[in-house]
Amino acid sequence: MENYLEVNLVRFIHMLRYAGIRIGSGEVLDALNALSLLDLSDREAVRAGLKATLVKRSGEQQLFDKAFTLFFAPPEAKEKDYTRHRQDQTQRQQLLAKATEELTFQGMPLKLSDSEKTVYSGMPEKDKEKLLDYIKKTAEGKNIEQHFQPILESVVKSSLAYWRKSLRNQLNLSPLPQTGDQELNALLASAVRNGGDYSPALLEEDMQNIADKDLPRAEALIRKLARQMVTRLARRYRQSKKRQQLDLRKTIRHNIRFGGTLLKLRYRSRRTQKPRLVLLCDVSGSMARYANFVLQFIYGINDVVSQIESFIFSEDLERVTEYFQHGDDFTSTMLEVINRSKEWGRGTNLGAALKNLRLKYPDLLTGHSILLIVSDTKTMALDETLQELSLIKRIVKDVVLLNTLPRGDWLSSKSVRSFQGVLRMFPCNTLSDLEKVIRQKIIIY
Amino acid sequence: MDVSIANLRKAFLSAGYITDEDVIITVFLSLKLGKPLLVEGAPGVGKTELAKVLSQVLEADLIRLQCYEGLDENKALYEWNYQRQLLKIQISKETACTEDLEQNLFSLEYLLERPLLKAIQADKQVVLLIDEVDKTDEEFEAFLFEVLSDFQVSVPELGTISARQIPVVILTSNNERELSDGLKRRCAYLYLDYPTVEREVAIIRAKIPTVGEKLSLEVARAVSLIRDSQEIKKKPSIAETLDWVRAILALDQDRLNLVVIEQTMAMLLKTKADLLSFNKNIGSGRLVEYARTEK
Ligand SMILES: Nc1ncnc2c1ncn2[C@@H]1O[C@H](COP(=O)(O)OP(=O)(O)OP(=O)(O)O)[C@@H](O)[C@H]1O
Ligand SMILES: [Mg+2]
Repeated sequence: MENYLEVNLVRFIHMLRYAGIRIGSGEVLDALNALSLLDLSDREAVRAGLKATLVKRSGEQQLFDKAFTLFFAPPEAKEKDYTRHRQDQTQRQQLLAKATEELTFQGMPLKLSDSEKTVYSGMPEKDKEKLLDYIKKTAEGKNIEQHFQPILESVVKSSLAYWRKSLRNQLNLSPLPQTGDQELNALLASAVRNGGDYSPALLEEDMQNIADKDLPRAEALIRKLARQMVTRLARRYRQSKKRQQLDLRKTIRHNIRFGGTLLKLRYRSRRTQKPRLVLLCDVSGSMARYANFVLQFIYGINDVVSQIESFIFSEDLERVTEYFQHGDDFTSTMLEVINRSKEWGRGTNLGAALKNLRLKYPDLLTGHSILLIVSDTKTMALDETLQELSLIKRIVKDVVLLNTLPRGDWLSSKSVRSFQGVLRMFPCNTLSDLEKVIRQKIIIY
Repeated sequence: MDVSIANLRKAFLSAGYITDEDVIITVFLSLKLGKPLLVEGAPGVGKTELAKVLSQVLEADLIRLQCYEGLDENKALYEWNYQRQLLKIQISKETACTEDLEQNLFSLEYLLERPLLKAIQADKQVVLLIDEVDKTDEEFEAFLFEVLSDFQVSVPELGTISARQIPVVILTSNNERELSDGLKRRCAYLYLDYPTVEREVAIIRAKIPTVGEKLSLEVARAVSLIRDSQEIKKKPSIAETLDWVRAILALDQDRLNLVVIEQTMAMLLKTKADLLSFNKNIGSGRLVEYARTEK
């Protein structure tokens, strides 16, 4: 019986962790101890006890309640979830098999990911036919040989990328949970189905792929992150403005020999001065979605601290600090920025933007300022950009780049590597990356 | 009091703290497991009050460490009484040798106990309230974490001081910043949300016995509508609900109506921006209608 409890607790914790709740091993022990103090037939007591010992973030309270309801559901309901999950699995496998069979080039299957194949299965029939038709025509073309396949593949991939965007809200693109525990997978899948916010995806999802229906939640999350960052910034700032403090204890120790006359005063060591944050946010075509999130983040910060200068850039630089100081809500501010901006959605030239920043706003770049660039590093005039960066680096305290490219793509990108040579770079592809940047005090110290 | 769920439930109720089963169970577990209780929630949901009531219920002294920006170990733990030390040095200028004097100067006699040391040194178990811990910085948090892990502190001049009894510790946070995982792992956790309408009615009636049933219900509903509004930045707290009721009673009203709302809304919404946004997005008319509609 006791063993049964432990096994189930471990599985439940597995489910919570899958949902992104961080639980340490000490906390698992606490939960077990808590259960030993409670009446196990009292469902509400068990729920409250597990919650008190396992879930320690305000934003995770509802998530926990949902998980609890699912996990400790009556057997019939669980059985239903299980059956449904198996059906989904079979169906998905069939669709994938079909896609693999159809998407071939001169008899060879195209190299596509499962998620790309899923997108294909979700396309309207007539568009599928068009795509197949295109592949077929290409394959039959004159002088077209096997080595042409990679080129064709990249064309197909970009077409599927387009469809991924437009099908985003109809298609369930998240992979089926794979925890190695079939019953748990079924529970998780059902959790994702009923009210998407169970899915761990949001925090870990490439911001670019966050579905429209999840936007309000993503935005709420960003507001929270921004608020946390603001409090830290504000706190550090105020502390640093305080006068230097006399360390009386040290002073007395040093002056005993002088008979209590305080000859030599000892001071506490001084705190670092608050850096001026200069944000430079890439809003070129490839960055539109990230920019939206990151600017939202900037807005969250500007809401309280006016010490931050924000710029957007693509081909050139544009100061947007003032838009964010009116105190309007985000959507209308954003509309204003986009409407008024010439920069939105053009090509990227970070070097030009940096140069303009240095020349037009010299008083913003000082030994106290931190330059924070948000970009995917895909810029024109790479060499010029690097030069400009090393120039600015000599003026400011620090240059940090938040890279919206997924970490996995960094190695293969020449520009990423070049940038890494001149500045500190951190991933900013998902909301959880953004959270980490704040938690690890990369920009604040 | 014998710590049990039923006893706690009864004791909280008779102390006038109206709460739900989650709170009772979490408090019970933190007492039984001997873990500090971390209470998070918006301003005014009753975090500080919970600690006060708990000390009352346990018949233990309440020692409060109010956190603020820049709070450091000295002010939380102990300080040397410099005035007295200086006096002593002046008096014994001629007589004592420097080394003896130094020993003497840094003895218990010159030690000023601050809340943490007080709680550790107490003979009888106390409730230690570390209020608004999110206002301090990470450095202080790490220090707290150590104190709360082994309940002993070392004073360089005096050696290690261990707790005579392990205090009941409650930490509160407004969630202005995320506390470290380490500290959180040490604690049992309770998230206090705004009360439901029913519970707020119960709180109003417990705190202001003269209020009528109708008015308390209308007020609780009105407040819940305001709290749910996205546009209101500073949500009214329980204390503000209570102030509002008192203001309405002071105007001799026993129901919500347009006039009294106009006259008293400033008791509930404290910023100009929120008052403006209330008028724009909700308005007294809709508030009265909502508050008076049976659900
Ligand atoms: N559950 C409750 N039962 C009765 N009264 C309550 C309850 N919760 C709160 N109150 C009342 O609300 C007042 C405010 O609560 P309290 O000061 O504890 O809030 P808080 O959460 O500590 O707020 P802050 O974050 O601003 O410190 C208390 O003085 C008390 O009168
Ligand atoms: Mg308080």
